[in-house]
Amino acid sequence: MARKPLSPHLSHYRFAYTMATSILHRLTGLALSVGLIVLACWLTAVSQGEAAYQRFASGPVSALLRVLLALWLIAFVYHLANGIRHLCWDAGWGFERAQARRSARIVIVSVVIVAALLIWAFFFRGAR
Amino acid sequence: MVELTLPPDSRVNKNGLVYRAPEGAKKPRTFRIYRFDPDSGENPRVDSYEIDMAACGPMVLDALIKIKNEIDPTLSFRRSCREGICGSCAMNIDGVNTLACTRACEDITGSEVRIYPLPHMPVVKDLVPDLTQFYAQYAAVKPWLETRTPAPPDRERYQSKEDQEKIDRPSACILCACCSTSCPSYWWNSDRYLGPAALLAAYRWIIDSRDESTGERLDALEDPFRLYRCHTIMNCTEACPKDLNPAKAIGEIKKMMVSRQH
Repeated sequence: MARKPLSPHLSHYRFAYTMATSILHRLTGLALSVGLIVLACWLTAVSQGEAAYQRFASGPVSALLRVLLALWLIAFVYHLANGIRHLCWDAGWGFERAQARRSARIVIVSVVIVAALLIWAFFFRGAR
Repeated sequence: MVELTLPPDSRVNKNGLVYRAPEGAKKPRTFRIYRFDPDSGENPRVDSYEIDMAACGPMVLDALIKIKNEIDPTLSFRRSCREGICGSCAMNIDGVNTLACTRACEDITGSEVRIYPLPHMPVVKDLVPDLTQFYAQYAAVKPWLETRTPAPPDRERYQSKEDQEKIDRPSACILCACCSTSCPSYWWNSDRYLGPAALLAAYRWIIDSRDESTGERLDALEDPFRLYRCHTIMNCTEACPKDLNPAKAIGEIKKMMVSRQH
């Protein structure tokens, strides 16, 4: 039997909005799962009283957490928006090429707007 | 399984042979084409052919035939009808799966035209992939009419115009494999996931008003891999050279799976 090499795939296929929105949905889902663990740790710290909570709320850990929190916020908004897109598909709506392209655009634009608003509201509006 | 890189024996040498355009070519254009010779024992490579577009037909298939006729007779590819109905010349052109006979060279932006075989497939030679598994998956969905009731003695099994229209588009699939081989899910799980082409065929028989084994057909697809490896990436629908919608067909099957439980 002659050898049959595998033809190029991921490295060669033109990267389009289809693959981008799909892999982003996975990556943001993954990031949110990790974020949930950190959120659980944070809640545990809150329940253990002020001293334990201070370790989270001050110093370099706090600064790092704030950056991560902002990223998780973006991930959450994307996962939510694209999740709604997937729900529409599950209901049988939006499968035409033009519709799918439009819904991808709507997701990206709304993520930028909503995430920017939320980050502003959480991190800058009440900044002391 | 997800394997992002090619196995060592499949890695492509990007600096293959170079064939220069003939003297006095009016509109030279470079075609970079994936080559694999099973007899050489070497890895695949990419050869460059410069051809004069002023003396070549408009489609990518015209260019391939010109190269084979005039420059390099060892170049192998499948082709037959040259009008988008046989599905033989499906390949990856400019990064996207399509038919060489219906893709105009002019529509390809960028100076070079890159032509590769359909992605993530075993390559027999050059642009000829091994479609054995693809056809086996098509056969697995039993693409024929299944009935329990005896056929009417004096006529065919009739169906209304509306019912015919439901299967009209899905029936237009030419099994070129552009959709299935554009699907990342199919790349990673083609051993267990049926892929968009076979599922579109399954859908065509599931919704056929004359078919009497709809339940069995759905049963056969009720599987974490066969059907549900579709994550609605939509590459299939984007790739289909016949403007069909495998993603929508799969979505409809998933809906039927849910609604039949109630």
